[in-house]
Amino acid sequence: MHDILTTCVYCGCGCGVYLHEQRGRVVGSSPSRNHPVSRNNLCVKGWHLHEFIHHPSRLKEPLMRKNGRLTPVSWDEAMSYAARELGRVAGESNGSAVGLLSSAKCTNEENYLLQKLARAALHTNNIDHCARL
Amino acid sequence: MAGLATTFGSGAMTNSINEIENAQVILVIGSNTSEAHPQVARRMFTAMDRGARLIVIDPRRTLLARRADIHLAIRPGTDIPLLNAMMRVILDENLADDLFIEMRTENFYGLRDMLFRLDLEEAAGICGVDLARIRAAAQLYGRAQKAVICYCLGITQHVCGTSNVQSIANLAMMTGNVEKEDTGVDPLRGQNNVQGACDMGALPNVFPSYQQVDNDDYREKFERAWNVSLPPKPGLTLMQMTHGGKDGQLKAMFIMGENPVLSDPVISKVEETLDNLEFLLVADIFLTETARRAHVVLPAASFAEKTGTFTNSERRVQMVRQVIPPLGQSRTDADIIMDLSARLGYVMDYESPAEIMEEIAMLAPIYGGMHHDRLENSWGLQWPCWDREHDGTPFLHKYYFTRGRGRFVPAVHEPPAELPDDDYPFLLITGRIYHQYHTGTMSRHSPLLSREAGEALLQLHPEDGRRLGLRSGDMVRMRSRRGEVQVKAQLTETVKTGEVYTTFHFSEMPINLLTISAKDHFSQCPEYKVCAVHLEKV
Amino acid sequence: MTEKYILKKDHLQPFLRKLKKSHQLVAPVQNRHGDTLFTEIDNLDKVHIDLDNQPQNSLKRFFFPQQEVLFTYHNPARDSYYFETVADESAPTLYFGVRPCDMSALLYMDVVFLKNARDPNYLHKRQNNILVGLNCNEPFANCFCNATRNGPFIDFGFDLQLTDLGDRFLVEYDRSRGQEIISSWRQFFAEAAESDVKAQYQAFLEARGKFRLQVHLDQAVKKLAEDEVPESVWEELSMRCQDCGGCAYICPTCTCFTIRDQPISDSDGERVRAWDACTFSGFTLMAGDHNPVDRQMRGIEKRFRHKLQFDVKKDNRPSCVGCGRCVNICFGGTDIVRFINMTCCGNI
Repeated sequence: MHDILTTCVYCGCGCGVYLHEQRGRVVGSSPSRNHPVSRNNLCVKGWHLHEFIHHPSRLKEPLMRKNGRLTPVSWDEAMSYAARELGRVAGESNGSAVGLLSSAKCTNEENYLLQKLARAALHTNNIDHCARL
Repeated sequence: MAGLATTFGSGAMTNSINEIENAQVILVIGSNTSEAHPQVARRMFTAMDRGARLIVIDPRRTLLARRADIHLAIRPGTDIPLLNAMMRVILDENLADDLFIEMRTENFYGLRDMLFRLDLEEAAGICGVDLARIRAAAQLYGRAQKAVICYCLGITQHVCGTSNVQSIANLAMMTGNVEKEDTGVDPLRGQNNVQGACDMGALPNVFPSYQQVDNDDYREKFERAWNVSLPPKPGLTLMQMTHGGKDGQLKAMFIMGENPVLSDPVISKVEETLDNLEFLLVADIFLTETARRAHVVLPAASFAEKTGTFTNSERRVQMVRQVIPPLGQSRTDADIIMDLSARLGYVMDYESPAEIMEEIAMLAPIYGGMHHDRLENSWGLQWPCWDREHDGTPFLHKYYFTRGRGRFVPAVHEPPAELPDDDYPFLLITGRIYHQYHTGTMSRHSPLLSREAGEALLQLHPEDGRRLGLRSGDMVRMRSRRGEVQVKAQLTETVKTGEVYTTFHFSEMPINLLTISAKDHFSQCPEYKVCAVHLEKV
Repeated sequence: MTEKYILKKDHLQPFLRKLKKSHQLVAPVQNRHGDTLFTEIDNLDKVHIDLDNQPQNSLKRFFFPQQEVLFTYHNPARDSYYFETVADESAPTLYFGVRPCDMSALLYMDVVFLKNARDPNYLHKRQNNILVGLNCNEPFANCFCNATRNGPFIDFGFDLQLTDLGDRFLVEYDRSRGQEIISSWRQFFAEAAESDVKAQYQAFLEARGKFRLQVHLDQAVKKLAEDEVPESVWEELSMRCQDCGGCAYICPTCTCFTIRDQPISDSDGERVRAWDACTFSGFTLMAGDHNPVDRQMRGIEKRFRHKLQFDVKKDNRPSCVGCGRCVNICFGGTDIVRFINMTCCGNI
């Protein structure tokens, strides 16, 4: 079992939490004693942080709507279709008909990339996230 | 956050979480801290064990309110008259910090003139709180040497949210309770990286580090860095995007790790908008209510499967470390974005999240000194952190406010957009509960959390329950002018008569079918805290 | 049990290296973030074994994991189930640097998991280990094992027990396996002189006087037995409890668990045993939404009664081992020391 320090993904407190990895699975969570926020304890959500990671309903393959149903497809098929459609709508509207929602659950780096994608690749400032919810 | 930005110049927690335990007086307004921000509540309780006094302003008698020295159970949406009344008392009793006002702030006379016109009895009447208790709270706060105000979405999710925040800032500045260690104004951010998403410019009007897109200098800076011309006009906000309906401006959307079908007000409008898109792309870890409506769904890696950083409520940027490889065929959102961008003809090539952070550090001044190697070997750094030599900033506005002088912005009462009437006699407040989180995408997949709180409950006062013939556990049909849901009743004296409370975590009971689309004029924050509903036993 | 040996501190690393050839090594390691945890050690030369700070976790998770698959179930043809037990595959393990509190906690867990129904996974782990303990010359800030009477020194339960005598450890053994280890690796061990034994005794005397917390555990046990704890104490503590479960999870003797079936696919699933806490309202929830325990008024009561009343009645000793890990971590300030002080001193 290995303990890897990371940051809790629930509320805005930002606890330092160890995830316990064993044979490729996350099997436990525990607080960091010296972390300035967690100080050796977590709330009930933090103590059960590992529980959703391996949930059987996790999405594990790309899905595409075919005949009205979401159907497993390859990454290449999903991505080329997605890029074609987003590119088409952005091109036809000069960016104004495309909108992107970023996520307060994703990392800073990913949020940076998404707004860069919106502004630089799709030419739109229609990007927001749920800061107000 | 727009409120603090106009008064202080920076819309973030001015303190560190740990400073709260050294405060003498803690004023909590519009925050159920012990359920939504447990670690912050822990500091409050520690402070109280050391002798600090707690004032809680909340329509509900929450667990925190029960431990408070003074609990002011105001009518929802009457924060401004309450805060104004407190300020008037402080003024009348000579508790204002004249030196601080003189040295650090501007437009105090604007506030003072407004306060002198205030009728205290009338204000107390609007709030539904005894004036003597308001007076006691004002004296307690006004006399403290070190006082902290914590607020959350109970303040911002109103039509007058920005003015609410400005009134809080007025109170703090008037008593000199900012700019020092252990004192300040602390907006608690609801989600783990909502601060970071804002900092990174995932907003329609600003680039990373709050550099406006319609400012030519900033835009040119990013055009040079990214080697592409950029649109100058601010974009659509979230509600403008998700509430366009079938005549909306949008034809295609990419939604990354969000679930607007559950989280946004007036769900029927959101569904209509999404269903009328020509193309909807969703990346998420579970098949959310939003993903079910997509044309393409991409499996994303969870936080345990990637490296990067989150920024917490106290502006602390900290590492997220990969523990296991992405499950199945899932990919990190960063990989998805880079792949998509390359296929759109704009190549983004980063070999690691650390390289992305290097670019952020170059372009976003408040992140100027944030580098993964520094964050790896510390407990993170608090922005602003200007360069590699800078150690970060535990509390903001030392010596001067970010905008120079703190600005008093007087505010007057603005009633909620929809109040109870004969047809819809109950006032509905929505919020969070301890065991669940946001739309439940993660927490509802945790067996223990679901055992502890597996279904939505509608809190209502036993007296109201008796009148409606309801007992705890009975199903209630709850209807507003916008929609209807069925929910299980929980009779409790946590809420006052005439007011009911529930959560938005559960897709079986999508409460945002009922909520109103009215929103704050400046921040666009929806008024989740007040709408009128009708109840009947099923 | 009278034989005592000396292991020079310089020889500790070589000694552990020898034992590591046949055993997985678990010891308190200070990681690069500054936290000290009992950790599985892959490379002895790349870690800092920290004997100066209390490990933040106990040995609990190694014997009673936070979540553990007991068996898997399969229903491939959708008509009949079959089950596959998941045998414990953990390697023989050497636990080094175990303090008296954690050693006592393990002996307590033996009662829970082995006394009546013998838990096979627990038994396998327990038969498969070597315990090398370390007496506490310097109790840590929140320790009160003097009050629970299982420290700061211990004389049973271990294979080998070390006492720090400056440049050397005094080594004792209890179980026969300890004796075997000493005879197998005789080159590391010298016979202890009488002065060494005296030094150990002196260290014990000094350690007893170094506790910072004064905890009147005996008094609390007595008041509980005589049912003299005021109602207001339970109410005050229950109102303070913020329902995190942290006290139970971090406690080396809290062994509450829940059992649940988790589907893996349409036809397969696993039965999982996972940590639970008696303070959670779901722990006592009955069918039909009835809950015999009012969490807000009495939620914390079971926890303290179990440790200081029921176990005393049953086994004649409290099941709190005084490790102090729950002290100062409670969100509402409701740790066992506060309870004891409220009960015995009438204040907080």
